[in-house]
Amino acid sequence: MSPRLTTIARRVAVVGVVAVQLAFVARGYRADHKQFAFQPFPEASTWRAEIVRVTTDGRRIPIERPWAGYRWEELVTDRGLSHPGIRHHADTGLNNQLAFLDSALDWVAANTPRDRETRYLEARVTAWHNDDPPHERTFRSPEREGGG
Amino acid sequence: MLARFDELLARPVSMRALALLRVLAGPLVLLHLEPFLTEAWSGETYADAFYEPYAGWYPEPPEAVYIGLLGLAVVAATAMSLGLLTRAATATTFAIVAYNVFLSTTHYQSNRAYLIIVLGLLVVAPCGRELSLDAWIRRRRGRPALDASAPGWPLWLLRFECAAVYGASGLSKLLDPDWFGGFVTWKRVTGAREDLEAWPLPDWAVSALTDADFHAVAAKFVVGTELFIALGLWWRGSRYAAVWVAVVFHLAIEAAAAVQVFSLLGIAVLLIWAVPSTRDRVLRIDPTSVRQRRLGTAVGRLDWLARFRAEPGQPGAPIAVADRDGTALRGGPALAFVLSRLPLTAWFALPALLLPPVRRARRAGRAAIGEPAVAKGPVGGR
Repeated sequence: MSPRLTTIARRVAVVGVVAVQLAFVARGYRADHKQFAFQPFPEASTWRAEIVRVTTDGRRIPIERPWAGYRWEELVTDRGLSHPGIRHHADTGLNNQLAFLDSALDWVAANTPRDRETRYLEARVTAWHNDDPPHERTFRSPEREGGG
Repeated sequence: MLARFDELLARPVSMRALALLRVLAGPLVLLHLEPFLTEAWSGETYADAFYEPYAGWYPEPPEAVYIGLLGLAVVAATAMSLGLLTRAATATTFAIVAYNVFLSTTHYQSNRAYLIIVLGLLVVAPCGRELSLDAWIRRRRGRPALDASAPGWPLWLLRFECAAVYGASGLSKLLDPDWFGGFVTWKRVTGAREDLEAWPLPDWAVSALTDADFHAVAAKFVVGTELFIALGLWWRGSRYAAVWVAVVFHLAIEAAAAVQVFSLLGIAVLLIWAVPSTRDRVLRIDPTSVRQRRLGTAVGRLDWLARFRAEPGQPGAPIAVADRDGTALRGGPALAFVLSRLPLTAWFALPALLLPPVRRARRAGRAAIGEPAVAKGPVGGR
């Protein structure tokens, strides 16, 4: 590579990395997942969720009960989601935590092929953002193709 | 302006600090991989439980290949640390660590992001020319050593990233009224009061740590600490203080929270703030003194950043050191200064530089730089 090209490449690489890093930091103030934003211990927020499987005949069965050979805590082992019924600290912020919970419902719905009775999974979440009053939200997985 | 910027990026500087960071990064990668390897050892991988790919197109290997990649990363990280086929080993380590973290959103942690950044910059920096088996093999074959200095841009970038980690964290807390007001830490600590009471702490300490007013002040102290580290690292006058505070900061975090490799990585990366030049300070040892010879040997073994070159002093003279600006010290102040420049002892020795006798000696040493007797000495020049 010619010296001039080397100089330009070096300049572009450094300015590019700095710009991308600053963009990630800025993005961290809005995004649920704050990759490369370096905002540790952001909140004292807590949450808990009552998660049920809604079956084709309308029953609402808590995921604390094993089903079709599955256990929630074996399917969802990460990000503090193994025991959602217990009030937990949202380690990396409430939005991040609930985004993971929402994705976990989708993943479980899509990756439990022996389960032939569940239509969808539903989580009723009670969340306490820092010192704010609790607020409730409901998340639902997509309807399962194999249900019923 | 642009020419000065280009000159800064191209300026040849010592890669010694990055070479040492590379050596330390290997064990950190192994620690980082440990939970993935443990899982793999028990026959499980990320794909056996909830995970969330960033993108549908991101390639996911069969289980055996995935486990094989983790094993390859172990080998590569070890080779990287040892400096064997350094660049290939570092690139392989970086590629697998990054690939694994980006396999699932659930794999992401800030400490892992920092590790990826560090590894990425070690790949582009020629940091295998010293402290490496590659260099040793080259010497054994009678080939001349490669130039240990290189354009400084990877070092400057890593400094930026290092400061960004503290700066981004401090800024996010500064801008959050709940954090800056102390509520977040207070709530976290009171929520873990049972754990706190299990510690061997006196009652008054537990009361203070669970007091909201205490946290209203402590939160500002935490934010100030992070921002001080982020900014203080950039100026020579505050750099040593910032490094010292950063070590305390990381140890405090390690004691209070589970942060994986963040503390060790954070402390290791602080090495890059050493001035990137080597052997530009002179340590004079009296060869007739057993004690000084031992000290010289110890300094030689602990001088991982190659700050000093040893020269024989006059028989009967106390240990002496000449800083890169020519400042001369002898006796206790010289010893304190030397220890403050060695990675393993710096944190303990830096406060000694604030002692009045040491300060007086350094002032006198600086004042004497212009004197002919010193200026004409072997290290008298600035």
